[in-house]
Amino acid sequence: MDALELPATVRTPQVSFNFSDNRFRLVGESYPEDVSSFYNPLFDALDEYLEGLASGQCRFDFELIYFNSSSAKAIMLLMGKLDEAASRGCQVDVYWFYDPEDNTMEELGEDFGEDLRDANFILEKMVV
Amino acid sequence: MRAQKLHELQSQLHSQGITFAYCGCITEHTLTGIGTALKHKLESEDVDTRTTRSIFAVFVEQMQNIIRYSARQTSSGSQSSADRSRTHCRYGILTIGQVGEDFVIHSGNLIEASDVPLMRARLTDLQGKSPQELKIAYKTQLRHGHELDCGAGVGFMEIARRTSRPIEFEFEEVDDEYSFFAIKATI
Repeated sequence: MDALELPATVRTPQVSFNFSDNRFRLVGESYPEDVSSFYNPLFDALDEYLEGLASGQCRFDFELIYFNSSSAKAIMLLMGKLDEAASRGCQVDVYWFYDPEDNTMEELGEDFGEDLRDANFILEKMVV
Repeated sequence: MRAQKLHELQSQLHSQGITFAYCGCITEHTLTGIGTALKHKLESEDVDTRTTRSIFAVFVEQMQNIIRYSARQTSSGSQSSADRSRTHCRYGILTIGQVGEDFVIHSGNLIEASDVPLMRARLTDLQGKSPQELKIAYKTQLRHGHELDCGAGVGFMEIARRTSRPIEFEFEEVDDEYSFFAIKATI
């Protein structure tokens, strides 16, 4: 699969889905005008990749400084897909980087992370 | 000449500690523009990162609530829902002020009178929740519903999680059909 790279905009994060390296990143802020039209293509691409992953490994980095409540749902759905792949035998590492000056983002990371049953969850301070 | 009236309005806002006010048509485009201006304003002031982000987060949720749920629309047509949210105008008011150490964000808009009981019940329920209960309610609400649509409830929960005091709200009856909804968030 060709890499999916989108630059950050005022309201959407930078997207870097590098399928050949098995590395995924969302960086920045997320409060899209239309959350479905932004996230649905990402869901589709991740679904297609994870189906073909069999028992391989991948890493997804969330490096978000802010997201709104509709993006929270999208993040929960992304994590659900990653955890499902892990439950099928893939090794999935989910990194959540938070700004140490904003503990709300650390708490939100913990909230999402505690729902992961099979994927590894790593909470880390962002280097700012 | 309206200078006197405008000056009175400005003085009135100033006397209430209001440093930022918007009243008018709100679309996703307005949110982007005002949001960028607000962010620059907050960054130029000596406010800590967490407070800045919380003010911005509450601002986004309140503006999006107005865009999605305010009763009065000024355009119509057979557009897709995505087009509609970008171009349709919903009327509302939002102010940000400082009272002592606290930042206070108010917003208001018309809603249909029939929506009042449900909104009152939801917001009253949130007022009584501890931070831990809010966290659980937030996740439960996110899991709820199909696809990316999980309703207005989660927006209010996001506001409640970001505030230092329970959300305050009030409804004022306008006529049989409409009520004015006002919400206050303190950070």
